[in-house]
Amino acid sequence: MKVLWLQDQLPKLAEHLESSSEELNGLDAKLGDGDLGVTMVRGSRQLMEIREELPDDWGMALLKCAQAFTKTSGSSYGTILATGLMAMAKQKKGQAEIDPSEWADLLKVALEAMQKRGKAELGQKTVLDPLSAIQKKLESNHNSSLSDLIEVVQQTIDDFRDKPCQIGRARIFQEKSIGLDDPGMVALKRLLEGLSHL
Amino acid sequence: MKKLLNDPYKYVDEMLVGMCAAHPEIYRQAGEGGRVITRAGSQRQGKVGIVSGGGSGHLPVFTGYVGPGLLDACAIGDVFASPSVEQMSEAMKVAHAGAGVLRLYGNYGGDVMNFDMAGEQLEMEDDIQSTTVLLADDVSSAPLEEAEKRRGVAGMVYAFKIAGAAAEQMLSLGEVTRIAQETADSCRSVGAALTPCTIPQAGKATFEIAEDEMEMGMGIHGEPGVWRDKLKPADDIAHEMVDRLIADRAIGSVDRLSVMVNSLGATPPEELYILYRIVKKRIEDLGATIVMPLVGRYATSMEMSGVSMTFCFLNPEREALLQAPARCAFWQVG
Repeated sequence: MKVLWLQDQLPKLAEHLESSSEELNGLDAKLGDGDLGVTMVRGSRQLMEIREELPDDWGMALLKCAQAFTKTSGSSYGTILATGLMAMAKQKKGQAEIDPSEWADLLKVALEAMQKRGKAELGQKTVLDPLSAIQKKLESNHNSSLSDLIEVVQQTIDDFRDKPCQIGRARIFQEKSIGLDDPGMVALKRLLEGLSHL
Repeated sequence: MKKLLNDPYKYVDEMLVGMCAAHPEIYRQAGEGGRVITRAGSQRQGKVGIVSGGGSGHLPVFTGYVGPGLLDACAIGDVFASPSVEQMSEAMKVAHAGAGVLRLYGNYGGDVMNFDMAGEQLEMEDDIQSTTVLLADDVSSAPLEEAEKRRGVAGMVYAFKIAGAAAEQMLSLGEVTRIAQETADSCRSVGAALTPCTIPQAGKATFEIAEDEMEMGMGIHGEPGVWRDKLKPADDIAHEMVDRLIADRAIGSVDRLSVMVNSLGATPPEELYILYRIVKKRIEDLGATIVMPLVGRYATSMEMSGVSMTFCFLNPEREALLQAPARCAFWQVG
């Protein structure tokens, strides 16, 4: 797929994130500063802003996507998301095509960079857990559909609901986070739902 | 809360405007939102750029130390909050004069995350080479075995000064980075707090402490220290702080070191001098030599009252660089 694919996806994605904003803010407010929805909306509005100018080079296009989040927000979720995009950008520098079979490897690289930057490990109830689940799914079947992936994310959200969050600001509220869906995981689900096909 | 302020959300922006207006020959605002402070003059081509950054509320740290022989640019966040990746990128772009950029700042999670990200973006987009040196000098924030987890406090003033002088001598990025890292490794600090400060946007004190109590080892944002008890006489406090620093790195008779006795904001210079007499005696009793002692407000937490003590161990290279000329609105050397 070419960068054109991303350009086609952005309007619906941005719209879906706008409509999820209050939900994400609400989830985040229980454990953090309640601005996750704002982070996602600001990022997606910025993406819409630069949609037409995205270069054909996937590396530079993904860099621009990363910057859409870092330019508009100081939140650590935005930075972590941007870190994953940057890691993929470096892999794809100078290339105009992503083959669907590459996603598993790209996500793996993104995941490693995000873990390193966030100093987080898997199992601590963060966005890394569903991302890792998606990565494994894609590794076992390169042709997994978007709805397969969304189901995997939902499954991870369900699996972690009754576990405590062990890192970041929510760590202070470890006990309180038991029984709550992790806002970062839900935001990832909303991101995927905003796409129409892979 | 009793503060001179207008809209708490404009606290930092109004402060920066005023600071640049008062010292137009030293500072200038840059970046889209004005959250980057850089030198008033133009960059010297081929000089390594040194950037720092972090939350507001610590003047002269960080922005105050922009000037000849010191920093080239700073990204500044809200009070006690990290600047954004964007602001850090802007600071690095402004500081870059063809020889690369050193990021020199304190070891705080949010700052590290954003500065690393900014460095990565710049390397990919603008091909700017950059390095990082973190200050982790607060001995109370983690044991010696986990020294890399320590927070950065007033030791960064020495790193700014010594690395800044190295860059001014047109040394390479690799050399400036080495010298900065060795300086960071040579600094040990300890703090003690008597009263908290208030973050304008939060409107309440960062921690609570009884009228007759103090806390030894407390961090500059009110992070918990090693003990809290009744306020002790000044000499006892000075002795304990020296003890804690010596326990972390012994002082030998051949050592030459600079010593900083720093006010966290509200503590007056009078009280710092009371402490300094003990520090001087203790170090000289060990046969070591004090070079260029610094007593005053070098790294603060707004109106917090309390003190920090830093030892910066010198070698001939660092000693010469420490004494090289430098100038900012808060400090002049040579």
